[in-house]
Amino acid sequence: MAVWSPRRVHGVLDLAFSAGPTGTSLRVAEQRPPLQVIRAFRQADGAALVHLHNISGGVLGGDQLALRVSVGPGATAQVTTPGATRLYRSRDAMATAVQETEVVVAEGGLLEYVPDPLIPYAGARYRQETRITLAADAGLFWWETVAPGREAHGEVFAYDDLAMTLDLTSGGRLIAAERVRLQPDVRPLTSSARMGIYRYFSTFYICRAGISGARWLEIEEALREIAEARSSHGVALWGVSTLAADGVVVRALSVRGAEVTAGLTGFWQAAKVLLYGRAAILPRKIY
Amino acid sequence: MLPSSLTNLLRFPVRQRCRIGKRGRYIMPQSPLRLLQLLQLADSAVPIGAASHSYGLETLTSDGVLDVAGIAGFLVDILDETGRLEGGFCRAAYRLAVTRPGSDPGAFRLSWQRLNERIAAFKPARESRVASATLGRRLLQLAVSLEEHPLLRDALTTATGAVRTEIHHAAAFGLICGALGVEEETAVATFLHQMVAGYISAFQRLLPLGQSQAARLLWSLKPAIEAAASASGNDRDDDEIGAFTPILDWASMRHPTLRTRLFIS
Repeated sequence: MAVWSPRRVHGVLDLAFSAGPTGTSLRVAEQRPPLQVIRAFRQADGAALVHLHNISGGVLGGDQLALRVSVGPGATAQVTTPGATRLYRSRDAMATAVQETEVVVAEGGLLEYVPDPLIPYAGARYRQETRITLAADAGLFWWETVAPGREAHGEVFAYDDLAMTLDLTSGGRLIAAERVRLQPDVRPLTSSARMGIYRYFSTFYICRAGISGARWLEIEEALREIAEARSSHGVALWGVSTLAADGVVVRALSVRGAEVTAGLTGFWQAAKVLLYGRAAILPRKIY
Repeated sequence: MLPSSLTNLLRFPVRQRCRIGKRGRYIMPQSPLRLLQLLQLADSAVPIGAASHSYGLETLTSDGVLDVAGIAGFLVDILDETGRLEGGFCRAAYRLAVTRPGSDPGAFRLSWQRLNERIAAFKPARESRVASATLGRRLLQLAVSLEEHPLLRDALTTATGAVRTEIHHAAAFGLICGALGVEEETAVATFLHQMVAGYISAFQRLLPLGQSQAARLLWSLKPAIEAAASASGNDRDDDEIGAFTPILDWASMRHPTLRTRLFIS
């Protein structure tokens, strides 16, 4: 069947962050709607904060979106969204919406990618491909949360197809990989092997290249105490583990979205102190 | 002196001893000797320590997430997720043994190292990742002690060389089966069968699951095992194989905090 995509757009956003004497600055190498950034905000620690806007109001069926983020040596960037990313219904003959993200963090650089959740609407078909490369001493705080849908409209796991891939490489080694394919009608997410009674899931990668495995085990233990304190059966479950190298991952399952947002922020703040000896500065928006 | 079957095995490259089946899979005539070897490698009594690991199941039962009534459905879905992924890794290692890239040992070692790193990257929970790496290394060590096979010895050196690579269970099993000349589909299905049998054995120690009940359960799951093995080779691109089991990942991550533990993972 021919793919019909009359409204297909090819949005591009290419962001380059570089360190300077007064802090990190942003250069927008390319910007093509619907993806857009307005400006970078300087934070107290010199980091550059940008909000990723989608002027369509969300991802429409057939959209082809590309985001490239390059964090230069010693630069610190914080990237967030002004609100949840809505993944709209795809018409039957439309191509699957695709978001490709390429991230490179150079030596001594730090990227904090802390967006609001993805909300896949009923009938949404969406594919997200993410590749992250970390150089020596590069740091990363990267989370992703997926909501069950528009719960207020009674839409829970009513989307058609959600595919998410991630390759996280540090020092030339693949340290984390995901190939998630969610088709709730084909493979029920309420299975006890998948999400059980929970509706939101979240993954938070916390990395800094070059830190020893022994130190990561200490960090895992410290963060696990937070996980235990925040976990409550029937409400939210939090887990922490070291990656194969250079990082830890935090996993969350929650019945409500509010617990996820608060929990992620708590882990971020604790891990920032453990890895960088300074507090995380929350982006300028209301939590 | 080497047995004749092994002499033949070493004399001819595997590619010359098999035909190509559907979807490019290698199909070899299965000798009783190969079958007996496979049975031993997949047996729960093989001395690699598999019985010490629950891969997070202990947390799920301890916290009341899973009970006896839920085991069958849970395992069917685990096979559909983890089974497909692990089956894919087993298959990839098998094909690495069968197609053995060129005569350059460096090329093989690099491919072998990359495969095992990839497997590790797909295992977010440390305890389950370490369990897989421990079992894989022990299985390969055992195979090397049982069979003189240059490929297996070469693969083992990556775990002991300057750059120490983990050797994961699915990869070790697939590589050994490929080197021995076990038929591909049988190898993958057998790996998944021993995986499920291991889970059921863990459930028997964690829940009131009797021996007969466990036997019936494993018997009933064989079609699902076969389906998962087959699905592990269906993806047009191996790079697309993945799994979504966040609750099991969480359970494995939480396992170190359990007050009383029967299992290492």
